[in-house]
Amino acid sequence: MRPLDWAVLAASLAGAAAYGVSRSRGSRTTSQYLLAGKTMPWYAMALSIMATQASAITFISTTGQSYADGMRFVQMYFGLPLAMILISAFIVPRFHASGVFTAYEYLERRFDARTRALAGIIFLLSRGLAVGVALSAPAVVLTVLLGWPSQWTTLAMGVIAVAYTVSGGIAAVTWTEFVQMLVMTAGIVAALVTALWVLPSGVGLNDALTIAGAAGKLNAVVWRFDLNDQYNVWSGLIGGMFLALAYFGCDQSQVQRYLTGRSIAQSRLGLLFNGVAKIPMQFFILLTGALVFVFYVYSQPPLVFQPQAMQALESQPGYAQLRAEYDAAFTSRRQAALRMDLEAFRSAQQDVDRVRSRALSLAGEAMGQGRINDTNYVFLWFVVHHIPAGVVGLIMAAIFAAAMSTISAEINSLATVSMVDIYRRFVRREAPDRHYLAASRWLTVFWGAYAIVTALYAQNLGSLVEAVNRLGSLFYGTLLGVFVLAFFFPRVRGGAAFLSMLLGEAAVFAVWHFTGLAFLWLNAIGCLVVVFSGVAFSLLRPTPRTAA
Amino acid sequence: MNPLDERPPFWGSWGRIYAGLVLYLAGLIALFAWFTRSWNR
Repeated sequence: MRPLDWAVLAASLAGAAAYGVSRSRGSRTTSQYLLAGKTMPWYAMALSIMATQASAITFISTTGQSYADGMRFVQMYFGLPLAMILISAFIVPRFHASGVFTAYEYLERRFDARTRALAGIIFLLSRGLAVGVALSAPAVVLTVLLGWPSQWTTLAMGVIAVAYTVSGGIAAVTWTEFVQMLVMTAGIVAALVTALWVLPSGVGLNDALTIAGAAGKLNAVVWRFDLNDQYNVWSGLIGGMFLALAYFGCDQSQVQRYLTGRSIAQSRLGLLFNGVAKIPMQFFILLTGALVFVFYVYSQPPLVFQPQAMQALESQPGYAQLRAEYDAAFTSRRQAALRMDLEAFRSAQQDVDRVRSRALSLAGEAMGQGRINDTNYVFLWFVVHHIPAGVVGLIMAAIFAAAMSTISAEINSLATVSMVDIYRRFVRREAPDRHYLAASRWLTVFWGAYAIVTALYAQNLGSLVEAVNRLGSLFYGTLLGVFVLAFFFPRVRGGAAFLSMLLGEAAVFAVWHFTGLAFLWLNAIGCLVVVFSGVAFSLLRPTPRTAA
Repeated sequence: MNPLDERPPFWGSWGRIYAGLVLYLAGLIALFAWFTRSWNR
Protein backbone atom coordinates (compact mmCIF):
# COMPACT_ATOMS: atom_id res chain seq x y z
CA MET A 1 0.00 0.00 0.00
CA ARG A 2 1.23 3.46 -0.95
CA PRO A 3 0.79 6.69 1.09
CA LEU A 4 -2.29 7.69 -0.93
CA ASP A 5 -3.90 4.31 -0.13
CA TRP A 6 -3.18 4.73 3.57
CA ALA A 7 -4.70 8.21 3.47
CA VAL A 8 -7.88 6.96 1.77
CA LEU A 9 -8.16 4.01 4.20
CA ALA A 10 -7.62 6.15 7.32
CA ALA A 11 -9.98 8.90 6.16
CA SER A 12 -12.75 6.41 5.36
CA LEU A 13 -12.50 4.56 8.68
CA ALA A 14 -12.21 7.67 10.83
CA GLY A 15 -14.85 9.57 8.87
CA ALA A 16 -17.45 6.79 9.18
CA ALA A 17 -16.88 6.31 12.92
CA ALA A 18 -16.84 10.07 13.64
CA TYR A 19 -20.06 10.60 11.68
CA GLY A 20 -21.77 7.72 13.52
CA VAL A 21 -20.74 8.98 16.96
CA SER A 22 -21.74 12.58 16.13
CA ARG A 23 -25.22 11.46 15.02
CA SER A 24 -25.76 9.39 18.18
CA ARG A 25 -25.15 12.01 20.87
CA GLY A 26 -27.74 12.04 23.61
CA SER A 27 -28.36 8.31 24.17
CA ARG A 28 -29.41 8.69 27.83
CA THR A 29 -32.00 5.92 28.16
CA THR A 30 -31.98 2.23 27.33
CA SER A 31 -34.59 2.89 24.66
CA GLN A 32 -32.29 5.45 23.03
CA TYR A 33 -29.21 3.28 23.46
CA LEU A 34 -30.74 0.01 22.22
CA LEU A 35 -33.47 1.24 19.84
CA ALA A 36 -32.29 4.80 18.98
CA GLY A 37 -35.53 6.04 20.56
CA LYS A 38 -37.35 4.64 17.48
CA THR A 39 -36.36 7.64 15.38
CA MET A 40 -34.53 6.12 12.42
CA PRO A 41 -35.50 7.01 8.84
CA TRP A 42 -35.83 4.24 6.24
CA TYR A 43 -32.67 5.07 4.26
CA ALA A 44 -30.44 4.79 7.35
CA MET A 45 -32.02 1.44 8.26
CA ALA A 46 -31.78 0.20 4.66
CA LEU A 47 -28.06 0.82 4.30
CA SER A 48 -27.41 -0.35 7.86
CA ILE A 49 -29.21 -3.64 7.17
CA MET A 50 -27.17 -4.15 4.01
CA ALA A 51 -23.90 -3.25 5.76
CA THR A 52 -24.56 -5.68 8.61
CA GLN A 53 -25.24 -8.42 6.09
CA ALA A 54 -22.05 -7.80 4.08
CA SER A 55 -19.07 -9.10 6.04
CA ALA A 56 -15.49 -8.65 4.89
CA ILE A 57 -15.00 -12.30 4.12
CA THR A 58 -18.16 -12.26 1.98
CA PHE A 59 -16.69 -9.32 0.11
CA ILE A 60 -13.37 -11.10 -0.41
CA SER A 61 -14.76 -14.61 -0.97
CA THR A 62 -17.58 -13.71 -3.34
CA THR A 63 -15.20 -12.38 -6.00
CA GLY A 64 -12.93 -15.40 -5.51
CA GLN A 65 -15.92 -17.71 -5.76
CA SER A 66 -16.91 -16.17 -9.07
CA TYR A 67 -13.31 -16.56 -10.31
CA ALA A 68 -13.37 -20.27 -9.47
CA ASP A 69 -17.00 -21.32 -9.80
CA GLY A 70 -18.75 -18.61 -11.79
CA MET A 71 -21.62 -16.32 -10.91
CA ARG A 72 -24.19 -18.92 -9.84
CA PHE A 73 -23.76 -17.85 -6.20
CA VAL A 74 -26.04 -14.87 -6.98
CA GLN A 75 -29.03 -17.26 -7.00
CA MET A 76 -28.70 -17.67 -3.24
CA TYR A 77 -30.24 -14.20 -2.95
CA PHE A 78 -33.27 -14.83 -5.20
CA GLY A 79 -35.45 -15.66 -2.19
CA LEU A 80 -34.47 -12.49 -0.34
CA PRO A 81 -37.03 -10.08 -1.89
CA LEU A 82 -39.80 -12.62 -1.14
CA ALA A 83 -38.62 -12.82 2.47
CA MET A 84 -38.56 -9.01 2.71
CA ILE A 85 -42.20 -8.92 1.57
CA LEU A 86 -43.29 -11.54 4.12
CA ILE A 87 -41.38 -9.87 6.97
CA SER A 88 -42.76 -6.43 6.05
CA ALA A 89 -46.31 -7.74 5.85
CA PHE A 90 -46.42 -10.04 8.88
CA ILE A 91 -43.47 -9.57 11.24
CA VAL A 92 -42.67 -5.83 11.31
CA PRO A 93 -46.19 -4.77 12.43
CA ARG A 94 -46.23 -7.37 15.22
CA PHE A 95 -42.81 -6.44 16.60
CA HIS A 96 -43.58 -2.71 16.42
CA ALA A 97 -47.00 -3.09 18.03
CA SER A 98 -45.65 -5.22 20.89
CA GLY A 99 -43.01 -2.61 21.80
CA VAL A 100 -40.29 -5.21 22.35
CA PHE A 101 -36.54 -4.56 22.49
CA THR A 102 -35.64 -8.01 21.14
CA ALA A 103 -37.27 -10.62 18.94
CA TYR A 104 -37.04 -13.17 21.77
CA GLU A 105 -38.89 -10.91 24.21
CA TYR A 106 -41.90 -11.39 21.93
CA LEU A 107 -41.71 -15.16 22.52
CA GLU A 108 -42.35 -14.77 26.24
CA ARG A 109 -45.42 -12.65 25.60
CA ARG A 110 -46.70 -15.29 23.20
CA PHE A 111 -45.41 -18.49 24.88
CA ASP A 112 -43.38 -18.52 28.11
CA ALA A 113 -40.09 -17.48 29.70
CA ARG A 114 -38.25 -20.73 28.92
CA THR A 115 -39.02 -20.52 25.18
CA ARG A 116 -37.72 -16.94 25.22
CA ALA A 117 -34.63 -17.99 27.16
CA LEU A 118 -33.93 -20.95 24.81
CA ALA A 119 -34.24 -18.75 21.71
CA GLY A 120 -32.05 -16.07 23.32
CA ILE A 121 -29.41 -18.61 24.31
CA ILE A 122 -29.42 -20.16 20.81
CA PHE A 123 -28.83 -16.67 19.42
CA LEU A 124 -26.04 -15.90 21.92
CA LEU A 125 -24.32 -19.22 21.20
CA SER A 126 -24.51 -19.05 17.42
CA ARG A 127 -23.69 -15.34 17.10
CA GLY A 128 -21.12 -15.53 19.89
CA LEU A 129 -19.27 -18.25 17.97
CA ALA A 130 -19.42 -16.29 14.72
CA VAL A 131 -18.43 -12.83 15.95
CA GLY A 132 -14.77 -13.68 16.49
CA VAL A 133 -14.58 -15.34 13.09
CA ALA A 134 -16.07 -12.26 11.41
CA LEU A 135 -13.21 -10.25 12.89
CA SER A 136 -10.37 -12.73 12.39
CA ALA A 137 -11.01 -14.01 8.87
CA PRO A 138 -10.23 -10.75 6.99
CA ALA A 139 -7.27 -10.11 9.30
CA VAL A 140 -5.76 -13.47 8.34
CA VAL A 141 -6.13 -12.82 4.61
CA LEU A 142 -4.76 -9.27 4.88
CA THR A 143 -1.83 -10.57 6.90
CA VAL A 144 -0.90 -13.24 4.39
CA LEU A 145 -1.07 -10.94 1.38
CA LEU A 146 0.12 -7.63 2.79
CA GLY A 147 2.36 -8.80 5.60
CA TRP A 148 0.48 -6.78 8.21
CA PRO A 149 0.70 -8.34 11.70
CA SER A 150 -2.69 -10.05 12.11
CA GLN A 151 -2.92 -9.12 15.80
CA TRP A 152 -2.68 -5.42 14.96
CA THR A 153 -5.21 -5.68 12.12
CA THR A 154 -7.63 -7.46 14.43
CA LEU A 155 -7.07 -4.99 17.24
CA ALA A 156 -7.42 -1.95 14.96
CA MET A 157 -10.73 -3.10 13.48
CA GLY A 158 -12.03 -4.44 16.79
CA VAL A 159 -11.14 -1.48 18.99
CA ILE A 160 -12.58 1.13 16.59
CA ALA A 161 -15.81 -0.87 16.18
CA VAL A 162 -16.17 -1.45 19.93
CA ALA A 163 -15.43 2.21 20.70
CA TYR A 164 -18.20 3.69 18.56
CA THR A 165 -20.66 0.92 19.52
CA VAL A 166 -20.12 1.47 23.26
CA SER A 167 -20.20 5.21 22.83
CA GLY A 168 -23.46 5.66 20.95
CA GLY A 169 -25.27 2.32 20.97
CA ILE A 170 -27.39 1.37 18.01
CA ALA A 171 -27.70 4.93 16.70
CA ALA A 172 -23.91 5.10 16.32
CA VAL A 173 -23.89 1.62 14.76
CA THR A 174 -26.63 2.53 12.28
CA TRP A 175 -25.20 5.88 11.16
CA THR A 176 -21.67 4.49 10.96
CA GLU A 177 -22.98 1.59 8.87
CA PHE A 178 -24.79 4.11 6.67
CA VAL A 179 -21.44 5.67 5.73
CA GLN A 180 -19.68 2.29 5.66
CA MET A 181 -22.21 1.01 3.12
CA LEU A 182 -21.53 4.04 0.91
CA VAL A 183 -17.79 3.28 1.18
CA MET A 184 -18.48 -0.38 0.27
CA THR A 185 -20.55 0.68 -2.75
CA ALA A 186 -17.75 3.01 -3.88
CA GLY A 187 -15.29 0.12 -3.40
CA ILE A 188 -17.42 -2.25 -5.50
CA VAL A 189 -17.79 0.31 -8.32
CA ALA A 190 -14.05 1.07 -8.19
CA ALA A 191 -13.17 -2.63 -8.33
CA LEU A 192 -15.53 -3.29 -11.25
CA VAL A 193 -14.35 -0.29 -13.28
CA THR A 194 -10.69 -1.07 -12.56
CA ALA A 195 -11.13 -4.74 -13.52
CA LEU A 196 -12.40 -3.54 -16.90
CA TRP A 197 -9.77 -0.82 -17.21
CA VAL A 198 -6.77 -3.12 -16.65
CA LEU A 199 -7.78 -5.54 -19.42
CA PRO A 200 -5.29 -5.52 -22.32
CA SER A 201 -5.88 -2.96 -25.05
CA GLY A 202 -8.08 -4.42 -27.74
CA VAL A 203 -10.06 -6.53 -25.25
CA GLY A 204 -13.42 -4.83 -24.73
CA LEU A 205 -16.36 -5.69 -22.50
CA ASN A 206 -17.91 -7.85 -25.22
CA ASP A 207 -14.70 -9.89 -25.63
CA ALA A 208 -14.29 -10.16 -21.85
CA LEU A 209 -17.83 -11.49 -21.40
CA THR A 210 -17.37 -13.92 -24.31
CA ILE A 211 -14.22 -15.33 -22.70
CA ALA A 212 -15.76 -15.48 -19.21
CA GLY A 213 -18.88 -17.14 -20.64
CA ALA A 214 -16.85 -19.70 -22.59
CA ALA A 215 -15.14 -20.67 -19.31
CA GLY A 216 -18.57 -21.09 -17.65
CA LYS A 217 -18.12 -18.12 -15.32
CA LEU A 218 -21.33 -16.28 -16.29
CA ASN A 219 -23.75 -18.98 -15.11
CA ALA A 220 -25.96 -16.55 -13.17
CA VAL A 221 -29.04 -18.77 -13.59
CA VAL A 222 -29.06 -22.58 -13.33
CA TRP A 223 -32.54 -24.04 -13.86
CA ARG A 224 -31.65 -27.70 -13.11
CA PHE A 225 -33.27 -28.91 -9.88
CA ASP A 226 -30.81 -30.82 -7.66
CA LEU A 227 -31.21 -31.11 -3.89
CA ASN A 228 -27.46 -31.64 -3.47
CA ASP A 229 -26.51 -28.59 -5.52
CA GLN A 230 -25.96 -25.51 -3.35
CA TYR A 231 -26.85 -22.89 -5.95
CA ASN A 232 -29.64 -23.14 -8.49
CA VAL A 233 -32.82 -21.13 -9.01
CA TRP A 234 -34.90 -23.46 -6.84
CA SER A 235 -32.56 -23.69 -3.86
CA GLY A 236 -32.13 -19.90 -4.14
CA LEU A 237 -35.83 -19.10 -4.27
CA ILE A 238 -36.99 -21.60 -1.63
CA GLY A 239 -33.95 -22.30 0.56
CA GLY A 240 -32.73 -18.73 0.16
CA MET A 241 -36.14 -17.39 1.16
CA PHE A 242 -36.17 -19.48 4.35
CA LEU A 243 -32.60 -18.39 5.14
CA ALA A 244 -33.49 -14.72 4.63
CA LEU A 245 -36.74 -15.11 6.60
CA ALA A 246 -34.80 -16.60 9.51
CA TYR A 247 -31.96 -14.10 9.32
CA PHE A 248 -34.06 -10.96 8.96
CA GLY A 249 -37.02 -12.19 10.98
CA CYS A 250 -35.37 -13.87 13.99
CA ASP A 251 -31.73 -12.77 14.21
CA GLN A 252 -31.49 -9.88 16.65
CA SER A 253 -28.63 -8.28 14.69
CA GLN A 254 -31.15 -7.59 11.91
CA VAL A 255 -34.41 -7.33 13.88
CA GLN A 256 -32.87 -4.59 16.03
CA ARG A 257 -32.20 -2.53 12.87
CA TYR A 258 -35.83 -2.27 11.86
CA LEU A 259 -37.10 -1.96 15.45
CA THR A 260 -35.37 1.44 15.45
CA GLY A 261 -37.68 2.72 12.68
CA ARG A 262 -39.73 5.82 13.48
CA SER A 263 -42.79 4.06 12.08
CA ILE A 264 -43.88 0.75 10.59
CA ALA A 265 -43.81 2.31 7.13
CA GLN A 266 -40.19 3.46 7.59
CA SER A 267 -39.13 -0.01 8.81
CA ARG A 268 -40.90 -1.66 5.87
CA LEU A 269 -39.28 0.67 3.35
CA GLY A 270 -35.86 -0.05 4.85
CA LEU A 271 -36.35 -3.79 4.41
CA LEU A 272 -37.90 -3.53 0.95
CA PHE A 273 -35.00 -1.38 -0.27
CA ASN A 274 -32.74 -4.25 0.73
CA GLY A 275 -34.95 -6.54 -1.39
CA VAL A 276 -34.41 -4.24 -4.37
CA ALA A 277 -30.69 -3.53 -4.02
CA LYS A 278 -29.16 -6.74 -2.68
CA ILE A 279 -29.31 -8.93 -5.81
CA PRO A 280 -27.83 -6.33 -8.21
CA MET A 281 -25.11 -5.58 -5.65
CA GLN A 282 -24.14 -9.26 -5.43
CA PHE A 283 -24.34 -9.54 -9.22
CA PHE A 284 -21.81 -6.75 -9.72
CA ILE A 285 -19.46 -8.15 -7.04
CA LEU A 286 -19.58 -11.52 -8.81
CA LEU A 287 -19.13 -9.87 -12.22
CA THR A 288 -15.97 -8.24 -10.84
CA GLY A 289 -14.69 -11.73 -9.97
CA ALA A 290 -15.48 -12.94 -13.50
CA LEU A 291 -13.60 -9.96 -14.98
CA VAL A 292 -10.64 -10.69 -12.72
CA PHE A 293 -10.70 -14.19 -14.24
CA VAL A 294 -10.58 -12.64 -17.74
CA PHE A 295 -7.69 -10.38 -16.71
CA TYR A 296 -5.74 -13.47 -15.65
CA VAL A 297 -6.46 -15.14 -18.98
CA TYR A 298 -4.17 -12.54 -20.56
CA SER A 299 -1.78 -11.94 -17.64
CA GLN A 300 -0.34 -15.05 -16.00
CA PRO A 301 -1.49 -15.47 -12.39
CA PRO A 302 0.44 -17.44 -9.75
CA LEU A 303 -0.14 -21.18 -9.79
CA VAL A 304 -1.55 -20.89 -6.26
CA PHE A 305 -2.82 -17.53 -4.91
CA GLN A 306 -2.10 -18.21 -1.24
CA PRO A 307 1.57 -17.21 -0.74
CA GLN A 308 2.30 -19.70 2.06
CA ALA A 309 0.85 -22.57 0.03
CA MET A 310 2.84 -21.42 -3.01
CA GLN A 311 6.04 -21.47 -0.96
CA ALA A 312 5.24 -24.97 0.29
CA LEU A 313 4.54 -26.10 -3.27
CA GLU A 314 7.84 -24.78 -4.57
CA SER A 315 9.71 -27.03 -2.17
CA GLN A 316 8.02 -30.16 -3.55
CA PRO A 317 9.88 -32.50 -5.95
CA GLY A 318 7.09 -32.46 -8.57
CA TYR A 319 6.94 -28.65 -8.71
CA ALA A 320 9.20 -28.08 -11.77
CA GLN A 321 7.13 -30.46 -13.90
CA LEU A 322 3.88 -28.92 -12.67
CA ARG A 323 5.19 -25.41 -13.37
CA ALA A 324 6.17 -26.34 -16.94
CA GLU A 325 2.71 -27.84 -17.58
CA TYR A 326 1.05 -24.74 -16.12
CA ASP A 327 3.12 -22.35 -18.27
CA ALA A 328 2.27 -24.36 -21.39
CA ALA A 329 -1.45 -24.55 -20.55
CA PHE A 330 -1.57 -20.81 -19.77
CA THR A 331 0.15 -19.92 -23.07
CA SER A 332 -2.26 -22.12 -25.06
CA ARG A 333 -5.23 -20.56 -23.26
CA ARG A 334 -3.99 -17.02 -23.83
CA GLN A 335 -3.36 -17.60 -27.52
CA ALA A 336 -6.78 -19.21 -27.96
CA ALA A 337 -8.38 -16.23 -26.20
CA LEU A 338 -6.52 -13.75 -28.42
CA ARG A 339 -7.76 -15.62 -31.51
CA MET A 340 -11.24 -15.88 -29.96
CA ASP A 341 -11.10 -19.60 -30.73
CA LEU A 342 -13.58 -20.64 -28.04
CA GLU A 343 -13.27 -24.39 -28.55
CA ALA A 344 -9.48 -24.28 -28.15
CA PHE A 345 -9.91 -21.87 -25.23
CA ARG A 346 -12.25 -24.26 -23.39
CA SER A 347 -9.85 -27.15 -23.93
CA ALA A 348 -6.90 -25.10 -22.64
CA GLN A 349 -9.02 -23.92 -19.69
CA GLN A 350 -9.58 -27.54 -18.70
CA ASP A 351 -5.80 -28.09 -18.81
CA VAL A 352 -5.22 -25.03 -16.59
CA ASP A 353 -7.90 -26.26 -14.14
CA ARG A 354 -6.36 -29.74 -14.01
CA VAL A 355 -2.85 -28.42 -13.31
CA ARG A 356 -4.14 -25.99 -10.67
CA SER A 357 -6.13 -28.75 -9.00
CA ARG A 358 -3.01 -30.92 -8.74
CA ALA A 359 -1.01 -27.92 -7.46
CA LEU A 360 -3.58 -27.20 -4.73
CA SER A 361 -3.53 -30.85 -3.63
CA LEU A 362 0.27 -30.99 -3.64
CA ALA A 363 0.52 -27.72 -1.68
CA GLY A 364 -2.00 -29.12 0.81
CA GLU A 365 0.08 -32.29 1.23
CA ALA A 366 3.22 -30.21 1.74
CA MET A 367 1.45 -28.23 4.47
CA GLY A 368 0.04 -31.34 6.11
CA GLN A 369 -3.55 -30.42 5.19
CA GLY A 370 -6.11 -31.52 2.67
CA ARG A 371 -6.50 -29.79 -0.68
CA ILE A 372 -5.86 -26.04 -0.37
CA ASN A 373 -8.69 -23.66 -1.19
CA ASP A 374 -7.17 -20.36 -2.31
CA THR A 375 -10.33 -18.58 -3.54
CA ASN A 376 -10.21 -16.08 -0.64
CA TYR A 377 -6.86 -14.82 -1.89
CA VAL A 378 -7.69 -14.27 -5.57
CA PHE A 379 -9.33 -10.85 -5.34
CA LEU A 380 -6.86 -9.36 -2.85
CA TRP A 381 -3.95 -10.64 -4.94
CA PHE A 382 -5.45 -8.79 -7.90
CA VAL A 383 -6.00 -5.64 -5.81
CA VAL A 384 -2.52 -5.59 -4.36
CA HIS A 385 -0.63 -6.36 -7.60
CA HIS A 386 -2.62 -4.77 -10.41
CA ILE A 387 -4.65 -1.82 -9.13
CA PRO A 388 -3.42 1.82 -9.09
CA ALA A 389 -2.70 3.81 -5.92
CA GLY A 390 -5.73 5.35 -4.25
CA VAL A 391 -8.11 2.72 -5.58
CA VAL A 392 -6.33 0.08 -3.48
CA GLY A 393 -6.96 2.23 -0.39
CA LEU A 394 -10.62 2.59 -1.31
CA ILE A 395 -11.07 -1.17 -1.79
CA MET A 396 -9.24 -1.88 1.48
CA ALA A 397 -11.50 0.69 3.17
CA ALA A 398 -14.52 -1.16 1.76
CA ILE A 399 -13.22 -4.46 3.19
CA PHE A 400 -12.53 -2.90 6.59
CA ALA A 401 -15.95 -1.21 6.52
CA ALA A 402 -17.62 -4.55 5.76
CA ALA A 403 -15.79 -6.22 8.67
CA MET A 404 -16.45 -3.46 11.17
CA SER A 405 -20.12 -3.03 10.27
CA THR A 406 -20.76 -6.72 10.87
CA ILE A 407 -18.81 -6.77 14.14
CA SER A 408 -20.43 -3.65 15.58
CA ALA A 409 -23.91 -4.90 14.71
CA GLU A 410 -23.19 -8.29 16.26
CA ILE A 411 -21.73 -7.03 19.54
CA ASN A 412 -24.56 -4.51 19.80
CA SER A 413 -27.20 -7.22 19.34
CA LEU A 414 -25.37 -9.68 21.63
CA ALA A 415 -25.27 -7.01 24.35
CA THR A 416 -28.95 -6.23 23.83
CA VAL A 417 -30.07 -9.86 24.14
CA SER A 418 -27.77 -10.40 27.15
CA MET A 419 -29.21 -7.34 28.88
CA VAL A 420 -32.89 -7.56 27.94
CA ASP A 421 -33.48 -11.33 27.70
CA ILE A 422 -31.09 -12.58 30.37
CA TYR A 423 -29.98 -9.87 32.83
CA ARG A 424 -33.16 -7.78 33.07
CA ARG A 425 -35.42 -10.85 32.85
CA PHE A 426 -33.65 -13.38 35.07
CA VAL A 427 -30.96 -11.59 37.12
CA ARG A 428 -32.19 -8.14 38.16
CA ARG A 429 -35.80 -7.46 37.32
CA GLU A 430 -36.41 -4.13 39.06
CA ALA A 431 -33.83 -1.39 38.71
CA PRO A 432 -33.70 2.22 37.52
CA ASP A 433 -33.31 2.77 33.77
CA ARG A 434 -29.83 4.28 34.26
CA HIS A 435 -28.72 0.96 35.77
CA TYR A 436 -29.84 -0.94 32.66
CA LEU A 437 -28.19 1.69 30.44
CA ALA A 438 -24.90 1.18 32.28
CA ALA A 439 -25.38 -2.60 32.09
CA SER A 440 -25.93 -2.31 28.31
CA ARG A 441 -22.68 -0.37 27.90
CA TRP A 442 -20.70 -2.83 30.03
CA LEU A 443 -22.17 -5.80 28.18
CA THR A 444 -21.17 -4.15 24.89
CA VAL A 445 -17.62 -3.80 26.26
CA PHE A 446 -17.73 -7.46 27.35
CA TRP A 447 -18.88 -8.76 23.95
CA GLY A 448 -16.41 -6.48 22.17
CA ALA A 449 -13.52 -7.79 24.28
CA TYR A 450 -14.80 -11.34 23.77
CA ALA A 451 -14.91 -10.80 19.98
CA ILE A 452 -11.34 -9.47 19.90
CA VAL A 453 -9.93 -12.24 22.12
CA THR A 454 -11.80 -14.95 20.17
CA ALA A 455 -10.58 -13.44 16.90
CA LEU A 456 -6.97 -13.49 18.08
CA TYR A 457 -7.39 -17.13 19.11
CA ALA A 458 -9.41 -18.11 16.00
CA GLN A 459 -6.47 -17.22 13.76
CA ASN A 460 -4.87 -20.49 14.80
CA LEU A 461 -7.95 -22.61 14.16
CA GLY A 462 -7.62 -22.87 10.36
CA SER A 463 -10.44 -24.87 8.83
CA LEU A 464 -12.44 -24.77 12.07
CA VAL A 465 -13.36 -21.21 11.14
CA GLU A 466 -15.55 -22.41 8.29
CA ALA A 467 -17.08 -25.10 10.51
CA VAL A 468 -18.00 -22.52 13.13
CA ASN A 469 -19.63 -20.32 10.49
CA ARG A 470 -21.71 -23.25 9.31
CA LEU A 471 -22.58 -24.32 12.85
CA GLY A 472 -23.92 -20.84 13.51
CA SER A 473 -26.29 -21.13 10.58
CA LEU A 474 -27.61 -24.52 11.72
CA PHE A 475 -29.87 -22.75 14.22
CA TYR A 476 -31.73 -20.40 11.90
CA GLY A 477 -34.48 -22.80 10.74
CA THR A 478 -35.46 -23.66 14.32
CA LEU A 479 -35.65 -20.01 15.33
CA LEU A 480 -37.78 -19.23 12.30
CA GLY A 481 -40.08 -22.16 13.08
CA VAL A 482 -40.84 -20.99 16.61
CA PHE A 483 -41.67 -17.49 15.34
CA VAL A 484 -43.98 -18.96 12.68
CA LEU A 485 -45.74 -20.84 15.51
CA ALA A 486 -45.95 -17.64 17.52
CA PHE A 487 -47.40 -15.56 14.70
CA PHE A 488 -49.70 -17.94 12.85
CA PHE A 489 -50.75 -20.78 15.19
CA PRO A 490 -52.62 -19.30 18.15
CA ARG A 491 -53.55 -22.75 19.53
CA VAL A 492 -49.90 -23.68 20.10
CA ARG A 493 -48.81 -22.89 23.67
CA GLY A 494 -45.46 -22.62 25.45
CA GLY A 495 -44.81 -26.30 26.21
CA ALA A 496 -45.41 -27.40 22.63
CA ALA A 497 -43.28 -24.57 21.25
CA PHE A 498 -40.39 -25.41 23.57
CA LEU A 499 -40.45 -29.13 22.75
CA SER A 500 -40.76 -28.48 19.02
CA MET A 501 -37.67 -26.22 19.12
CA LEU A 502 -35.65 -29.04 20.69
CA LEU A 503 -36.99 -31.52 18.13
CA GLY A 504 -36.34 -29.14 15.24
CA GLU A 505 -32.75 -28.60 16.30
CA ALA A 506 -32.22 -32.37 16.64
CA ALA A 507 -33.67 -32.91 13.14
CA VAL A 508 -31.43 -30.25 11.57
CA PHE A 509 -28.31 -31.72 13.17
CA ALA A 510 -29.32 -35.24 12.07
CA VAL A 511 -29.89 -34.17 8.44
CA TRP A 512 -26.67 -32.15 8.42
CA HIS A 513 -24.65 -35.04 9.87
CA PHE A 514 -26.12 -37.98 7.95
CA THR A 515 -26.94 -36.56 4.50
CA GLY A 516 -25.21 -34.51 1.83
CA LEU A 517 -28.18 -32.18 1.44
CA ALA A 518 -27.30 -28.67 0.20
CA PHE A 519 -26.92 -26.28 3.10
CA LEU A 520 -29.69 -23.85 2.14
CA TRP A 521 -32.35 -26.55 2.56
CA LEU A 522 -31.52 -27.02 6.28
CA ASN A 523 -33.28 -23.75 7.09
CA ALA A 524 -36.49 -24.95 5.46
CA ILE A 525 -36.26 -28.35 7.18
CA GLY A 526 -35.67 -26.87 10.64
CA CYS A 527 -38.58 -24.48 10.23
CA LEU A 528 -41.00 -27.12 8.92
CA VAL A 529 -40.11 -29.66 11.64
CA VAL A 530 -40.71 -27.06 14.36
CA VAL A 531 -44.02 -25.95 12.85
CA PHE A 532 -45.41 -29.45 12.23
CA SER A 533 -44.23 -30.84 15.58
CA GLY A 534 -45.47 -27.75 17.43
CA VAL A 535 -48.92 -28.16 15.91
CA ALA A 536 -48.85 -31.94 16.58
CA PHE A 537 -47.81 -31.49 20.23
CA SER A 538 -50.54 -28.92 20.77
CA LEU A 539 -53.13 -31.34 19.33
CA LEU A 540 -51.84 -34.25 21.43
CA ARG A 541 -51.69 -32.26 24.67
CA PRO A 542 -54.15 -29.41 24.36
CA THR A 543 -53.50 -26.78 27.00
CA PRO A 544 -56.41 -24.70 28.24
CA ARG A 545 -56.31 -21.11 27.05
CA THR A 546 -55.43 -18.60 29.73
CA ALA A 547 -55.82 -14.86 29.74
CA ALA A 548 -52.69 -13.12 28.49
CA MET B 1 -54.92 6.49 11.68
CA ASN B 2 -53.91 3.14 13.16
CA PRO B 3 -50.15 2.92 12.69
CA LEU B 4 -50.62 -0.65 11.45
CA ASP B 5 -52.61 0.74 8.53
CA GLU B 6 -50.10 3.45 7.71
CA ARG B 7 -50.00 3.90 3.95
CA PRO B 8 -46.74 3.85 2.00
CA PRO B 9 -45.37 7.16 0.68
CA PHE B 10 -45.97 6.07 -2.94
CA TRP B 11 -48.10 3.66 -5.05
CA GLY B 12 -51.04 3.94 -2.64
CA SER B 13 -50.93 0.57 -0.89
CA TRP B 14 -48.41 -1.92 0.45
CA GLY B 15 -49.97 -4.66 -1.68
CA ARG B 16 -48.99 -2.78 -4.85
CA ILE B 17 -45.44 -2.28 -3.58
CA TYR B 18 -45.14 -5.99 -2.76
CA ALA B 19 -46.51 -6.93 -6.19
CA GLY B 20 -44.03 -4.51 -7.77
CA LEU B 21 -41.16 -6.17 -5.90
CA VAL B 22 -42.27 -9.66 -7.06
CA LEU B 23 -42.41 -8.40 -10.67
CA TYR B 24 -38.99 -6.81 -10.21
CA LEU B 25 -37.61 -10.14 -8.97
CA ALA B 26 -39.14 -11.98 -11.92
CA GLY B 27 -37.63 -9.37 -14.25
CA LEU B 28 -34.18 -9.75 -12.65
CA ILE B 29 -34.26 -13.54 -12.96
CA ALA B 30 -35.36 -13.24 -16.61
CA LEU B 31 -32.56 -10.72 -17.24
CA PHE B 32 -29.97 -12.96 -15.59
CA ALA B 33 -31.27 -15.98 -17.53
CA TRP B 34 -30.87 -14.00 -20.77
CA PHE B 35 -27.38 -12.93 -19.63
CA THR B 36 -26.43 -16.55 -18.92
CA ARG B 37 -27.79 -17.84 -22.22
CA SER B 38 -26.22 -15.03 -24.24
CA TRP B 39 -22.68 -15.51 -22.98
CA ASN B 40 -22.47 -19.24 -22.26
CA ARG B 41 -21.67 -20.09 -25.86
